[in-house]
Amino acid sequence: MKSRKRLIFWCSLLGLILAMTIFSDLLATQPVNEMDLDSVYSPPGEGHLLGTDHLGRDVFSRLVQGGKVTLAVAGLSVALSFVIGVIYGGISGYAGGWTDSVMMRILEALISIPSLIFVLAFQAVMQGGMWGMTFIIGVTGWFTTARIIRSEFIRLKDAEYVKMAKMFGTPVWSILTGHLLRNSLPPLLVVTIFNLAGAVFIEVSLSFLGIGIPPSIPSWGNMLYNAQNDLLIGAWWIGVFPGLLIFLTILSINFIGEALKKSGRGRFHA
Amino acid sequence: MTVKWIGKRMMLGVLVLFIVSFLSFFIMHASPGSSATAYYGGNAQTLTAAEKERISKAFALDRPLPVQYGAWLKQAVQGNLGMSAGVGRPVASILGERLPNTLLLFGVSMFFIIIGSIWLGMTAGMRPGSLLDRGLSAFSIASSSIPAFWLGILFIYLFAVTLGVLPSSGTGSLGGDGGFVDKMKHLIMPASVVVLTHVGLYARFLQESVKAELGSYYVMAARANGVMEREIRRGVLRNAFIPYLNYLGVTIPSFFGGSVIVESLFAWSGLGQLLVRSVMVKDYPLLMGGIMLTGLIVVISLFVIDVLMYMLDPKLRKGELGG
Repeated sequence: MKSRKRLIFWCSLLGLILAMTIFSDLLATQPVNEMDLDSVYSPPGEGHLLGTDHLGRDVFSRLVQGGKVTLAVAGLSVALSFVIGVIYGGISGYAGGWTDSVMMRILEALISIPSLIFVLAFQAVMQGGMWGMTFIIGVTGWFTTARIIRSEFIRLKDAEYVKMAKMFGTPVWSILTGHLLRNSLPPLLVVTIFNLAGAVFIEVSLSFLGIGIPPSIPSWGNMLYNAQNDLLIGAWWIGVFPGLLIFLTILSINFIGEALKKSGRGRFHA
Repeated sequence: MTVKWIGKRMMLGVLVLFIVSFLSFFIMHASPGSSATAYYGGNAQTLTAAEKERISKAFALDRPLPVQYGAWLKQAVQGNLGMSAGVGRPVASILGERLPNTLLLFGVSMFFIIIGSIWLGMTAGMRPGSLLDRGLSAFSIASSSIPAFWLGILFIYLFAVTLGVLPSSGTGSLGGDGGFVDKMKHLIMPASVVVLTHVGLYARFLQESVKAELGSYYVMAARANGVMEREIRRGVLRNAFIPYLNYLGVTIPSFFGGSVIVESLFAWSGLGQLLVRSVMVKDYPLLMGGIMLTGLIVVISLFVIDVLMYMLDPKLRKGELGG
C-alpha cells in the first residue's frame, strides 16, 4: 500500500511537470526570445518570477517552453527506439537459429559501445534541429528494448497457447502481435520508462555541450549551456531552475520505473 | 580451455571494434562535402599537388565509400589515423596527448567508485532494515537522476566561485608549473562529480545481491553451525561480487559516455572534450580516431572484467555457463 502511494506521488509530480510544459503557452508571461536589455541578470522576484538571463529574457517563460522541447524530443525518440527495438528483437527471437546468433552478436557489440559515441558521430554530420535530435536519440537507444523483446519472444514462442494457436492456423502476424508482443508488454513498459529517462538525459547533455538543439530554440539543456558563464558572475538562478526541473523529471521517471519493476509487472529475462 | 576462452573473448573485442569503425565511418562519410579536404588538415593550401595525391592515394579518397573504408582500416591498423582537419597534425599524436588525462580521470574515479560502493553496499546489505539499508536505495536513484554536468555546475559555483578553494576548470593552472599537486587539485571536482553520480548505483546493486545471498540456505546453515560472522561476511561478499563485476562491465560503456560530458564541463583536456570539439568543427579524421580509441578503452576494460570474472567464478571456469 505504501509503495502504491509512492507511485501515485511520483506519477502526479511527473504529470504536473508535463502539464506545465503542455500549457506553456498559457503560463509563459513573455515570449521566449523577447529581450529586455534594461533588465539583464535581474534576480528572481517581482516582474520576473525566476529572474532574467544575460539578454534579459524571462527565465520562467523559457523554462516552461524549453520543457516542451526537451520532453517532446525525449518522448518521440523513445517511440522510435521502441519500434526499432521491437522489430529487431522480435525478428531475432522469433526466427531463432543462425539469424538469431548473428543478430545477437551484432547487438552485443552495439551494447558495449557508449551510445553517446554514435550520437556524436551522427551529430557531426547532421545539422540537428529538433527532428534531427529525435532521430539520433531514437536510433541509438533501442538496444535494451531489443534484448528484452528477444528473450520474451524466445520464452513465449514455445508456450502451450502459442503452439495451440499455430495448430489452429492462426496467421503468423497475429501470433506475433496478439500473443507474443501482447504478453511481452509488461517488461517492455518498464524498459521504455527507463529509456525515457535516458533520452531526457541525452538531450539535455548534448544541448548543454552546445551540440544539441540549436540555441535559438529554448530547451532545458540549452538554458544550462548559457548558464555556465552566468554562474561565474554569480547569477545562479539561470542554471539552478532548469537543472532542478531536469532532475525532478528524471527522478520521477526513475521512481515510477522502479515501482513498476518491483510490483512484478516487469519481470526481466534479459 | 582457458586459452580457448580468452581467445574467444578477444575475438569478440575485435568484432566490437570492427563494428564501431564500420558504423561510425559510414555515418560520417555519408554526409556531403569533400572528405578529402578533411584529410588534408588545416594546411590544405600549403600542400603540394604531389603530397595531396599521396594522401588521396593512401586513404583512397577518389574511390567509392567501401574502398575508402578498407583503406582507412588498413591505415588505422598500422597506426595511421590521418591528419586532423582542425589542428593540422597527425590524429594519432593528438590522441596520444589526451589519453593520459582521460585514463587518469577514469582510473581515479573508478577506484573510488569501486571502494565506496563495496563498502556502502556491504554495510547496508549486511544490516537489513537499518537506516543505511533503507536510505541507500533512495540515494542511489536520486544520485543517478542528477545530470552530472548540473552537479558539476553547482560544484563550480560553490567551490570555485563562492568559496574559491578549487580551480573551476582545466587540467593545470595557467602559468603553473604543471606539477602533480596542481593537477590533483584540478582533478578533485571532475572526479568527485563522476564518483557521486555513480557510486550509489553500484552500491545498491551490491546491496541487493548481498541481501539475496544472506537469505540463502548456505548462510542459514553456516549460521546454525556457528560459523563466525566474519567468515560468513567473506563468503557472502565473494558470491555477491560476481554479479557485481558483471554489472560493472555492463555499465562501463555508459559510464564512459558520462565522463565525456564531465570532461567538457571542466575543460579537462582528455578524449571526451576532444570528441565534443571535433564534432563542433566537423573534424572527421580526429573524431573517427577518438571514437576508435574510446572503443578500444571500453573493449579493454570489458576484457579485464571478463578475465576477473573467469578467475572468480568456478562455474564459468568449468564452462558450465558456456563462456
